[in-house]
Amino acid sequence: MALPLPPGLVPTEVAFLCEMEMVTIIPRQRLESISLLSGQIPTLRPPHRAQLPLWLALLLKKQRRANIVPPSWLHPASLSEIIHHEINIDPEGFSPPPPPVTRSDGRGMARPYGDSKPGDMVLSPPFLPSCAADAPSSYLPYHWLELSETLLAHASDDIHGAAEVRTLLRDLQEVRAAKMRGSTTQLEGGGGVVGLRGVGAMELAESRGFVLGVVEGVRKLGASAEATRREEEEARSEGGEESDEDMAFG
Amino acid sequence: MDIDDILREVDPTFDSIPVETRDLQALTRAWIAERSAPELLDWPADGLFERINDRIKKQIEKVEEMTGDMDPKTNFALIVIQTELERFKFLVRSYLRARVAKIDKHTLHYLSTADLRLRLSSTELAYATRHQALLHHHYLSSFLSSFPASLQNLNDTSGNISMIDTPDVDTAVFIRLLRDVVVRGKGTDVDGAAAGQHGDIFILRWSDAKGLVESGSAELV
Repeated sequence: MALPLPPGLVPTEVAFLCEMEMVTIIPRQRLESISLLSGQIPTLRPPHRAQLPLWLALLLKKQRRANIVPPSWLHPASLSEIIHHEINIDPEGFSPPPPPVTRSDGRGMARPYGDSKPGDMVLSPPFLPSCAADAPSSYLPYHWLELSETLLAHASDDIHGAAEVRTLLRDLQEVRAAKMRGSTTQLEGGGGVVGLRGVGAMELAESRGFVLGVVEGVRKLGASAEATRREEEEARSEGGEESDEDMAFG
Repeated sequence: MDIDDILREVDPTFDSIPVETRDLQALTRAWIAERSAPELLDWPADGLFERINDRIKKQIEKVEEMTGDMDPKTNFALIVIQTELERFKFLVRSYLRARVAKIDKHTLHYLSTADLRLRLSSTELAYATRHQALLHHHYLSSFLSSFPASLQNLNDTSGNISMIDTPDVDTAVFIRLLRDVVVRGKGTDVDGAAAGQHGDIFILRWSDAKGLVESGSAELV
């Protein structure tokens, strides 16, 4: 077997991805710049803050060479606000993802981060600065669960109100897990497209097998009905009735 | 600090994403896509792999040079460099293994048409051809040769049933949109469509998602 893993990222692979998230640190000692495959690590000069990938930040933290500045959405106030949103404002969907990171283009317009010319590469997590100290509060980024768990495990002394944060995260996780389970009712419908706006990476990885199993099951059960429906639609569009509607999907 | 650094600080229009980050993003995206998609995807055409392999090779040489140095400061830098090197190697390895697993599973399918063969890199193509030849030879010598000549083919398509196993392109996948776009998908009861915004996550069939992913409007997650 070349690869004994099921299709789709498994939780350990998601955790690996999360370690590429950029976090903010405050170095405790000077460290010369290192040139890495993913780019140059800036020279670290206390007390100037720097942004490093999580795996490096954890290494520095373990050796007591730096402190990690938790992202602002990991503050108890921000987490309570998100929980309030999840329970009271939008009891159906997940809380919205952070707004796309934009940069000023110098002419009073905002452009997506990293999108300098049309058709250029668009960055996505974990390469967006959504877990740095200045990330917008009250929005959960894609890797929220893995990142906060890792920070609580290895840098809990850097987190303001770590015990409270831990409790709030557990509440948040439960509320969202219930929504994830609830989303299966949408899957049963066989509507073709199911949106999960604001879902997190680990939440997807956890329920990937279940969700895909349901979708596959529904598809196989309805395969003959679907084939009949398509034949009918084809016949109708050939007959010239409602051709616009069917052509669009045909 | 060179002129690029200075430009980057004063001019917000200056492209601030270094080429290393772009390549890492491209590699990560390719890896996730290959791990999630039910069929083999195109081998990256722009020399991404050659670039990354080159850089890994140089970094290994650098590590070998630095190992001789006993200065504690270099020692720590060495740990960092080696940790990162392992992470890169894991990505590359996992990506290649995911591809080989798919090729192994549906070898004849990927060798059947010129279009499909184009998806393989030259080494993968050599591997698949050789592996299939060995396998066929083995079958032939162990049992196929005692069959009538008309039943010896491994890629028979007569009688409307193909012997060649193909990947199921209607398998559901998760995608994330990279720009605002309308997402259409076929369903069992009705065909659906949804107006998606940048960053939204959808579940739909790979056959419907493929166009979006290939045009760069979405990525697999």
